[in-house]
Amino acid sequence: MTKKVYLHVGTPKTGTSYLQHVLFNNREKLLAKSIRYPADRFDGHFLAALDLMRLPWGGLEVDAIGAWDHLAAQVRRWPGTSIVSHEILATASRAQIGHALETLGHGGDTEVHLVLSVRDLVRQIPAEWQENVKHRAALPYGRFLEQIRDPRREGRIATWFWGVQEIPDILDRWGHDLPPGHVHVVTVPPAGGSPDLLWERFTEAFGLTGISLALDGERMNPSLGAPETALIRRINRAANEELEPADYRPLVRELLAHQTLSRRTGSPRLGLPPDVHPWATELEDAWIEEVRRRGYHVVGDLDDLRGAPPPTEYADPDHPDEALVSGAAVDALKALLLDNARLRHELARRQGDLEQTHRELEKAYLRPTYRWRQKLVRRLETGRAGRLAMKLYRRARGRSSRSA
Amino acid sequence: MTGEAETDGEARAWGWVSHLRSGGTTPWSRWADPAPASEQAGRYLPGAQQLELLRRLNQQRVPTPALAGRVLAASAPGRGRPDLGLVGVLARTRFGPAPVDPQDLPPDELVRVATALIAEDVVASGEPPAPRQVRRFRRRYRLLGDPELARPFREQLTADGRPPGGSGATVVVLGTDVERMLVHAWTARCFGTEGVRPWPEWVAAAARGGALPPRIDLAEVARTWAQRVGAGHTHVVLDDPRRGARLAGLRTTPGATRDLCADAIELARRTGPVVGTLVPPERRAQLLWHRLRPLLSGFEGATLQVPERHRPWLAERGADLRQRLARGDYAVHGDLPEVSVAAPTADRAGRPGHPVTVAAPDDERVLALAMQVLLGPPIGATDAAGEGE
Repeated sequence: MTKKVYLHVGTPKTGTSYLQHVLFNNREKLLAKSIRYPADRFDGHFLAALDLMRLPWGGLEVDAIGAWDHLAAQVRRWPGTSIVSHEILATASRAQIGHALETLGHGGDTEVHLVLSVRDLVRQIPAEWQENVKHRAALPYGRFLEQIRDPRREGRIATWFWGVQEIPDILDRWGHDLPPGHVHVVTVPPAGGSPDLLWERFTEAFGLTGISLALDGERMNPSLGAPETALIRRINRAANEELEPADYRPLVRELLAHQTLSRRTGSPRLGLPPDVHPWATELEDAWIEEVRRRGYHVVGDLDDLRGAPPPTEYADPDHPDEALVSGAAVDALKALLLDNARLRHELARRQGDLEQTHRELEKAYLRPTYRWRQKLVRRLETGRAGRLAMKLYRRARGRSSRSA
Repeated sequence: MTGEAETDGEARAWGWVSHLRSGGTTPWSRWADPAPASEQAGRYLPGAQQLELLRRLNQQRVPTPALAGRVLAASAPGRGRPDLGLVGVLARTRFGPAPVDPQDLPPDELVRVATALIAEDVVASGEPPAPRQVRRFRRRYRLLGDPELARPFREQLTADGRPPGGSGATVVVLGTDVERMLVHAWTARCFGTEGVRPWPEWVAAAARGGALPPRIDLAEVARTWAQRVGAGHTHVVLDDPRRGARLAGLRTTPGATRDLCADAIELARRTGPVVGTLVPPERRAQLLWHRLRPLLSGFEGATLQVPERHRPWLAERGADLRQRLARGDYAVHGDLPEVSVAAPTADRAGRPGHPVTVAAPDDERVLALAMQVLLGPPIGATDAAGEGE
């Protein structure tokens, strides 16, 4: 049997979290079919990607040290099929890609298959800006669009965007050493289709067809509407200076964005401004033509990469409906109040526990035998002979503590 | 895999790679010779950043073949521009970042690549020496305040088996003028484990916030510790840090601590996070202090100053600190020095015309420094011999 590695390198916002969630939760079932998803924790492959690319990530890089080599060693040891998946791998350099392929066994007895899941730019562009905002960015949507459209592609925003989204370039970097038949491009179906269709495409690309897996969890990361994203951006602008990254993640990204504001599904969605639309469609057409020309294995339909026409009404997040923003702000305040109340109750409970412990400790100290022993030890510690006696006593007791 | 050049431009690029590997310094824009087919080897052409860094290194001194190979194989760490192609190699496609003339690259891009290599060298320099076993009978102390003044003494005492802390400790808070302390606070963050913003941004944020960073708010540090250990056990030392070190129990104190030059601190700021992707935080802090820092302290250059626009805030903070120190019931040795008004016009080596202080590090000088570090003796080789003295 040929050893195979399916290496899924992106792109973000194409159902990758759901795929990784299913693979992680079904590791045992997959192993029974000789397929290994080597991860000890859900974000194991994310850490491996950080390590491969030496990417600092708000302190998480500490957990990532050595993670790629550990992952690659597990893949090399496994005689069957392995799956590696993380979307930030899309941005790896050619040197890092060379190292990744080599350590996974490419060039030896292993057949490496590259998988890239892709979605049209008309949806990806606003989704990427929103992701930036959920990672503390405070730049307006208009500036974001200007930066990614600037052909010089300087600055962190543009370099990251194109690094993880420019499909022909990602395929060129990652697929450079692989036969086109081993490069699988999975297209995300247009909005409104069957929710199972993308999963079916993933199963085909990863050779999982016919394996019964438990499918649960959110299919896509929850997304925010235009006023909600505008609100988070304003919060970033006001609080970035003072709010530590370790606090930002649970409070803003998780509590406010994911758990609270993403539930406001009735607000206008983020989209591409009508004047930017033709530029994006032109790129999409060029990418479709290029991917088709290269002869990769396409799972789905390359025409899925052509985004929907612009909506009749565009909701500009830089000039949002202020009534909707204040509605979102009230929801956010409510969520923070409830969370604060929960923490206060927790604090009161812990304070009660602590006071109880203090009382019990004091009771123990107040026993006459404790006071006598304490007095004796103090007296002994003042003289040389006493210290020697204490030393012998402690040695006999078998511990080094100097407390009485 | 051996690549074979597909275009004339690619053959010319492989020729340039070969030229640079053998120590050449000709810029890409003036390079014309293709490589012979046998030398068009490699999975891919190195990026413009890597190639230009090697060319700049060759201009200084030809690196070893091993270092040249490492430069060409390096990836710039962290977020930033990807490896860029050379202009004129392939026909311009509609995909990927635009190719560049490597000479047009900003020095910052080359520093990124260099920090990847320096970080590897720092990690490869080996474990810093372990401190001797903790002495049972020792004077208990805490050395706090200005981190750049306190840490060398603290390290010296710890290496000698006398770590800080313990009951009944004498608390010594070291300080100097507020400008220098502010620079020191940023310097300490650059050698720390959490990363820090560039100096101009950091100092602007401090000024916006109003207060001095907590560790250099000497009056607050002294007040807190006086409450814990008693005013009689708390000393603020402003005149000579060595006096503070003696109060903490250090019998022989080294000479006055010399501040690092601005570009050296910036290089440490940029290298630290890369080291942090290779080793755990505790080891990162040890390596930066015991391996990178001794090396960087050997480089001459202008030291940092607070930009002119923040000086009114600085003066206000200094006056406030002076008043609060005067109100304290702990011992204060010396006076809080005034912040110097104008920068002298000679550098530390006495050369006229070179500013002794600068308001911000300079990318071009940081690059020059990074190249000196790469071309110098192995990191740790010089200070390892002196360690334990």
